Amino acid sequence: MTDETLARLQFATTAGFHWLFVMLTLGLAPLIAVMHTRHALRGTPLLERMTRFWGQIYVVNYVLGIVTGLVMEFQFGLAWSGLAEYAGNVFGAPLALETIVAFFAESTFLGMWIFGWGKLPKAVHVTLIWLVTLTAYASAYWIMVANGFLQHPVGHEVRGGVAYLTDFGAMLTNPNAINALVHAATAALMTGGVFVAGVSSYHFLKRTAEREFFRASLRLGLFVATPAAFVALYYGFVQIPTLVDTQPMKAATLRGHIDDLGSLRVEDVQAQLAQRFGAGDYRPPTWIATAFDVMQDVGYLIFLLIVVALVLLYRDWYLRFRPAAYLMLVAVPLPFVAALGGWLLREVGRQPWAVYGELTTAAARSPVGSMAASLVLFCGVFLALGVADVALIVRYARRGPAETDLGGSPGDGQAERPTASLAL
Amino acid sequence: MTLGLVWPALLGLLLAGYFVLAGLDYGVQMLTPRLGRDDRERRALLNAFGPFFLGNEVWLVAASGVLFGAFPFLEGRLLSGMYFLFTAILAGIVVGNAAVQLRSRHRGAAARRLWDGLIFLGGLVPAVGWGLVAGRILAGVPLDARNAFSLGPADLLDPFVLLCGATTAAVFLAHGAAFLAWRTDGEPGARAARAGRRGLLVAAAAAAAVLVTGSLSSARHALVHPWPAFVAGAALVIALLAGAALLRAGRTGPALAATSCAAALPVVALGAGLRPFALVSSSAPGTGLRLADAMAEASTLRLLAGFAAVMVPLMLLAQVWNWWMFRDRTGRTPTYL
Repeated sequence: MTDETLARLQFATTAGFHWLFVMLTLGLAPLIAVMHTRHALRGTPLLERMTRFWGQIYVVNYVLGIVTGLVMEFQFGLAWSGLAEYAGNVFGAPLALETIVAFFAESTFLGMWIFGWGKLPKAVHVTLIWLVTLTAYASAYWIMVANGFLQHPVGHEVRGGVAYLTDFGAMLTNPNAINALVHAATAALMTGGVFVAGVSSYHFLKRTAEREFFRASLRLGLFVATPAAFVALYYGFVQIPTLVDTQPMKAATLRGHIDDLGSLRVEDVQAQLAQRFGAGDYRPPTWIATAFDVMQDVGYLIFLLIVVALVLLYRDWYLRFRPAAYLMLVAVPLPFVAALGGWLLREVGRQPWAVYGELTTAAARSPVGSMAASLVLFCGVFLALGVADVALIVRYARRGPAETDLGGSPGDGQAERPTASLAL
Repeated sequence: MTLGLVWPALLGLLLAGYFVLAGLDYGVQMLTPRLGRDDRERRALLNAFGPFFLGNEVWLVAASGVLFGAFPFLEGRLLSGMYFLFTAILAGIVVGNAAVQLRSRHRGAAARRLWDGLIFLGGLVPAVGWGLVAGRILAGVPLDARNAFSLGPADLLDPFVLLCGATTAAVFLAHGAAFLAWRTDGEPGARAARAGRRGLLVAAAAAAAVLVTGSLSSARHALVHPWPAFVAGAALVIALLAGAALLRAGRTGPALAATSCAAALPVVALGAGLRPFALVSSSAPGTGLRLADAMAEASTLRLLAGFAAVMVPLMLLAQVWNWWMFRDRTGRTPTYL
């Protein structure tokens, strides 16, 4: 493998892990904020237990989100210093704002929320989870503004081989950022809703005692996931005309998979780009079309499943019709599969460009030689922590609300059960 | 004030905040396996920083954001130049951060012991690593014509740089001990105070050794302003000794204030010693990458300054609010970690 491939793999590993865990973070946060608010308004124990149970899963999931996010902030400087040399005046601004406007506040408030149970006034405590939710989505916005610049660089001019910011407003309203943000954010909401519905279905199938608890959870999950899935699908299509305009090569590679391409063909775009930027291969790998198909087909499948499930909520048919619960449980991983497909399409489909039409990925790389050792290190660390984290999420999900640690203070480790330590 | 002052000051503030706050995390992480005799005690020690832990760590995120946004022409050179060192620090932080949060999610003793080892490692690696980074920057880096550089592990085998690494490790350890002595009651708190006194004396000796080797070695020639850096280093030694005396007197709050100053002083030494440079050359003294050349263009800086003027006070307010809400000693805060 070339050094460039290794560097790209390292970035993809970090970003990919981050993306999968962040999907659930973004998806669960608003649901938990709604549960917590309803609890604060009505004061029912059921709603408090729901907040703590789903909040516990959220907090464990967040661990991987924050550690991979931390590494993400450094990946550009470590492995892609050419990006800062070329576009530092422009591309650094949204990333800086993401850290000081969003990431910093999100973590501070989440720490307070975790430890605020039985300690902070209810109104303050609920405000904190809404602040966590708000800053999480603000973070997503700034990241998409930065990513949108890489996809479709706007709001700048190039003098002497260096980019200068000329129109920040254009960056903030870049259609390639905004439409993708709506698409990704609603897909994340759908992920959270399907996750909650799927875990609830597991408890129906197991006939656990928490029927009312998971019935309420299921309803909330489906009420959020259904409209979210619809908007996510819609905003998938909204992006196609922008794609044809701003990234004709990526669009042309999808010929046969999307409509409205007109006369756009890979060979023609390749000839145009070669004429404009000099000899070279400007075609992304053809398998991004497969990634597109996976995203789209899995997306339709999820939409179908949740609409059927929503209909079955009528008179609690869902709780008596076990195949529905099985299907919903199996559906839990599907949004992540679709999200991976969409991410690969967006990022691999941009190749060979780091900044589309301006800076190639090869030119953006840091002069640090082989990254094989650090790639193995980061892969190993993320994989081990990711497996441990997912195992914990599965365990909390299966054991149900009685075994939640969050806000419980279960006797400060007194309630040790030395047996069955890691058993799921 | 001009942008040329505001942005270095903000970067310095965020880095100093990171060293003070995450420094105490790393110290507590290194101390927990030793000071906590059983699982209950270890949990009590970890929950001492519980409500602040996530907020402490993100000062690094904010510093990295400002580094990229305001100093884009330093960020890439610095991080890629010390590639393997930053990789190790990041991996250490990742492992330690996850271990702190996941440790008590497992109920079994064996799983918790494994996480305890990773908690220790995740404190030690960044604590040593940041000292090595600071030491190497103070002693200069082999800049080329483009003001870029690339270090290998051998470039760290310098007495001054290694002593800097040992110093930050000892300072953070003692700082964490002072924090535990201040925040926890009972026997673990008393053990932390004793460990803190010993740690502070070791840290003071290490810092004094840094001053001696610094004045004898190449670091003095690479630095533009060796004297201000020396004064910051001397203040570090004094702060550490004052912290030890205060801990002996049982005044844990002032002792924590003294160790907090000590944790922040390396940032002051860097700023005072290197100004007006961000990186100095180890081979050609008096040359390097100027801060002014490392910064983004004025219009970008002005734009970011507008956001920062609103957001940074809010950020600081949120952190102050956090410390105020959870100012009680442990025992009255829920146990989660």
